[in-house]
Amino acid sequence: MSTLEKLLRSKLVIWTLLVLPGLWPLWPIFLRPDASVTADPFKYVLHHLGFVACLVLATVLAFSPLRVLWPKWGVAQALNRHRRLVGVAAFVYAALHLGTHLIYEGGFEFAAIPATLKTAVGKPFQLTGLIAFTILLVLALTSLNSAIKWLGGKRWKNIHRLAYVAAGLAAYHQAAARKLFPMQVVWIFGPLVILEIARVWKQRQPKSGAAVVTPSGAARSG
Amino acid sequence: MLIRTPKDWELPASAVTPESLYHLSKRRDFLKALGVAGAALAAREVLAATAGFPSKVNAAYRDPALKPTAYEHITSYNNFYEFGTDKAEPKTLANRGWKTDPWTVEVTGMVNNPLKLDVNEVVEKMGGAEQRVYRLRCVEAWSMVVPWDGFQLSKLIALADPKSEAKFVKFTTFLDKKSAPGQADGNLNYPYIEGLRLDEAMNELSFIATGIYGKPIPHQNGAPLRLVVPWKYGFKSIKSIVKIELTDKQPKNTWQVLQASEYGFYANVNPTVDHPRWTQASERVIGGGLGRQKTLMFNGYEPQVASLYQGMDLKKNY
Repeated sequence: MSTLEKLLRSKLVIWTLLVLPGLWPLWPIFLRPDASVTADPFKYVLHHLGFVACLVLATVLAFSPLRVLWPKWGVAQALNRHRRLVGVAAFVYAALHLGTHLIYEGGFEFAAIPATLKTAVGKPFQLTGLIAFTILLVLALTSLNSAIKWLGGKRWKNIHRLAYVAAGLAAYHQAAARKLFPMQVVWIFGPLVILEIARVWKQRQPKSGAAVVTPSGAARSG
Repeated sequence: MLIRTPKDWELPASAVTPESLYHLSKRRDFLKALGVAGAALAAREVLAATAGFPSKVNAAYRDPALKPTAYEHITSYNNFYEFGTDKAEPKTLANRGWKTDPWTVEVTGMVNNPLKLDVNEVVEKMGGAEQRVYRLRCVEAWSMVVPWDGFQLSKLIALADPKSEAKFVKFTTFLDKKSAPGQADGNLNYPYIEGLRLDEAMNELSFIATGIYGKPIPHQNGAPLRLVVPWKYGFKSIKSIVKIELTDKQPKNTWQVLQASEYGFYANVNPTVDHPRWTQASERVIGGGLGRQKTLMFNGYEPQVASLYQGMDLKKNY
């Protein structure tokens, strides 16, 4: 087992990798203040949390295709142990992102939150984010062991396929967040798209151990 | 907090000498050592548009209730896509050797007295610079309060003497792909174009700024001269102007060409007309920490400009 594989099998390591991006804004806001960030620190935090949520979501969705494409690779196997942890982390970042928006948009008044939500529902850019968040909320709630038992394998799997819908909506939401299209959408979701296409293509290939019918009519595996 | 009106010769405590000026002061010492004459020395002392300083405060445009945004935020948080699309990029990329001195401005088109002058000559012809404190509201729903130094646009247009058929003023910014990475990338259609109706341009509020806080305007804020129309969204306040053209056709401003469903020609600040993707009812106050405030109709300049739009459907003419 390589060192990398050993590290990636550790829950502590994964937790650290998931928490660190959340702490990133401390640097330009407090530790080494950057005037372009302290100009509007909450907007900076809002964008950062959204970026991390998209990144973590795209990352967890990459685990399965990595395992399918490279089934003997120890690192891919190690990562797949953490699908629930990383998936729930994506939900947590999305929740923090939405929470920041609701609080900041309403001027830090809780009474303003309903109006902020009403606006969000009325604008496609914001609505897609809201729907993506709702899907992640459902996935997070159904990731509990008790929920998995209650739903059963097949129903659970179908519900969790909604993660792909959430990713698509998140990509649109991120793409529509600035005045011009931001390249970061391509860097975050592009590799995932490529991996998924490769995975689907591989899974459609006939297996090497498939039965082959010879001219004499007898089945023979090769 | 009371705003103390500074004397003409005072610089604000928050003003830090920009790095570019610091480097030039070494050149000044060098030139001094060579015994270069005083006038020539003064002309090279700072980057561009040095004429008009120190500026005179215009008390008519200095509401004591308006708290000016800190200089470091005004000069570090910029939408100037010619120099990158991140707010932090123009401060770095616009100061990597881009020259704004010398700088020629043309006033041309349907005028009886076309002008082609160095920006410092323009300021001198306008009788020097005055300081006005204006609100600036970006279409992205953030706002600043900026003490601009410069002159009223109507004076420059009057000097060029528009012909009777002139109905609009078209502004063009510089084009220099070698110095401006955003222009080389083509992230927008360049050169950046903006426009005003002639009566909007002749309004008392329309201002040409050559300085901020009593110092020549930094590169990232649109050196050496830019437009300020405080009752409109910030993208109307075109930076680094090279040409002002009187015309009879409504100019096709860059953001409208790019995305007409979101950005129009008038772009008047209006809390009742939303951007398709976000609300315009409130704004974040830059440098204001937790600050958020309600957006005012015409950015608080309703008394001065409402008459320009009487009878107009501002939901259609956004």
